Amino acid sequence: MNVIEINDLTKTYGKARGISNVSLNIEEGEIFGFIGPNGAGKSTTLRTLLGLIYPTSGSAKIFGKSCAEYPQVRRELGYLPSEVFYYDKMRVIDLLNYSASFYKKDCTKRMRELAEIMELDLKKKIDDLSYGNKKKVGIVQGLLHEPKLILLDEPTGGLDPLMQQRFFELIGEENKKGATIFFSSHILSEVQRLCTRVGLIKEGRLIKLEKMSALQQSSYKRISIKTDALESPERLKMEGVSDFNVNGSDVNFIYKGAINDMIKRIGELNIRDLSITEPDLEEIFLHYYAKES
Amino acid sequence: MNIYLHELRSLRKSTFLWVCALAAMSFIYFSVYPSIVADAENFKALFNAYPPSVLAMLNVTLDNLTSLLGFYTMIFTFLALFGAIQAMNLGLSILSKEVRERTADFLLVKPVSRSRIVSMKLLASVTMLLITNALFYLIVFAFAQLYKTAEYDVAVFFMINFTLLFIQLIFFALGAVISVFVPKIKNVLPISLGIVFLFFFAGAFLVEGADDPVRYLTPFEYFDVAYIVQNAAYETSYLLAGAAVVIVSITVTYLNYIRKDIYAVS
Repeated sequence: MNVIEINDLTKTYGKARGISNVSLNIEEGEIFGFIGPNGAGKSTTLRTLLGLIYPTSGSAKIFGKSCAEYPQVRRELGYLPSEVFYYDKMRVIDLLNYSASFYKKDCTKRMRELAEIMELDLKKKIDDLSYGNKKKVGIVQGLLHEPKLILLDEPTGGLDPLMQQRFFELIGEENKKGATIFFSSHILSEVQRLCTRVGLIKEGRLIKLEKMSALQQSSYKRISIKTDALESPERLKMEGVSDFNVNGSDVNFIYKGAINDMIKRIGELNIRDLSITEPDLEEIFLHYYAKES
Repeated sequence: MNIYLHELRSLRKSTFLWVCALAAMSFIYFSVYPSIVADAENFKALFNAYPPSVLAMLNVTLDNLTSLLGFYTMIFTFLALFGAIQAMNLGLSILSKEVRERTADFLLVKPVSRSRIVSMKLLASVTMLLITNALFYLIVFAFAQLYKTAEYDVAVFFMINFTLLFIQLIFFALGAVISVFVPKIKNVLPISLGIVFLFFFAGAFLVEGADDPVRYLTPFEYFDVAYIVQNAAYETSYLLAGAAVVIVSITVTYLNYIRKDIYAVS
């Protein structure tokens, strides 16, 4: 079953770039990573999905219905915005109770559990909280009604590494309980460790959808070498090499192919230093898929 | 219901302050009434020195300046002006505050429709205006009883007071409809002061006489207090005009707010 169905979605506004012809289905139980640089259209896609903005054309539905037309489908939706702002004068507990009052069930127990996990002081005034603590309020209010779909927009900003860790564990647990997660981020390492599938959006267009496993199986390596300036590193430019850069004695490229062949070739050079690393998703995306689209 | 209660709670303090301010203004005005009565001739002479247009703006009618209703007619102009600012403020802020305080991403993703949010917010605001009026009537009635020097027509006194509610409803509705068309209102009070004073002075300077149709342009002129004192009735056509302004404004508010794009905070 598709929990999210985005069909040929286009949103244009004035001068600001919107999104064009985005189509995307997300199945129940997936953790989907939505990656792109700032301003690529991640938030626009999300906000259309939430019913905060209206599509210029196409459709965005959750559980088969558009949020704008059927606000009630949002009962199964939890949302954590990238920037959290709440009614400053309220206490945390009052805000959470207000949030819970929109979902016709008793959320008290889950609210307490979440507050404990995130180490959130319920008695404080929102106004007095640090940004990181406000973010925690956002996490608790987004999850307290045990939603079946969780939309996260750059969720980890402001959280310290320990809390990020707990947050990811929390999201993982929700997913195990059956929740579908839609996770928008420009931090790729976050997406890499959590998601089952990723989509890359760039300049308002969805340019690639790929299973995480497929990406990880690809044997792309980033190879950096320090060599004697006298030697010609051009010899390394064999098949499977791309993004080849020479900067003085530093040589830098991405390689896909039999690693043994490459090692032999490098062995012929007089090198001073060598590192072979996994390229991050962005490099893979930008250097391979961006060209294809 | 939860939104309604939440809004009532958030409006509680400001409503209380507005009522206190109205009470304080009424007190200051009423406290000079006994000395005006005592020194009636001098006051008439003083006001005679002003040009007629100024007197019209101040709603001074020299013949009955010293009667309680005549005096009240004059001071009510300022109380109504003040009440209009309160209502305009409320109208401008009640919907726009979610964007200004950046809480729209909280409220508008809850499983409620936008029209319900608008309804609850309008309802909470109108409740607060009704409370303001109820308290205001009690306060000015108490002052009137305290400071009266002769009997006066209590029914007419209340008829004058009810126009505060009408004026407030009109300005509230105008504020609401203006707020949905302005992309982001950073600061409410300067805008509401500007709009209310514009209407106030438009009424004072443009309107010439009770038959001038220019009166339709400013809600302050819809309720001619002198007319109410004389006839113990409202002018039906202006009552209808006021109702029309409210209905059209609120309808447009709904239609616009429901289709509005709520952008990310920046």
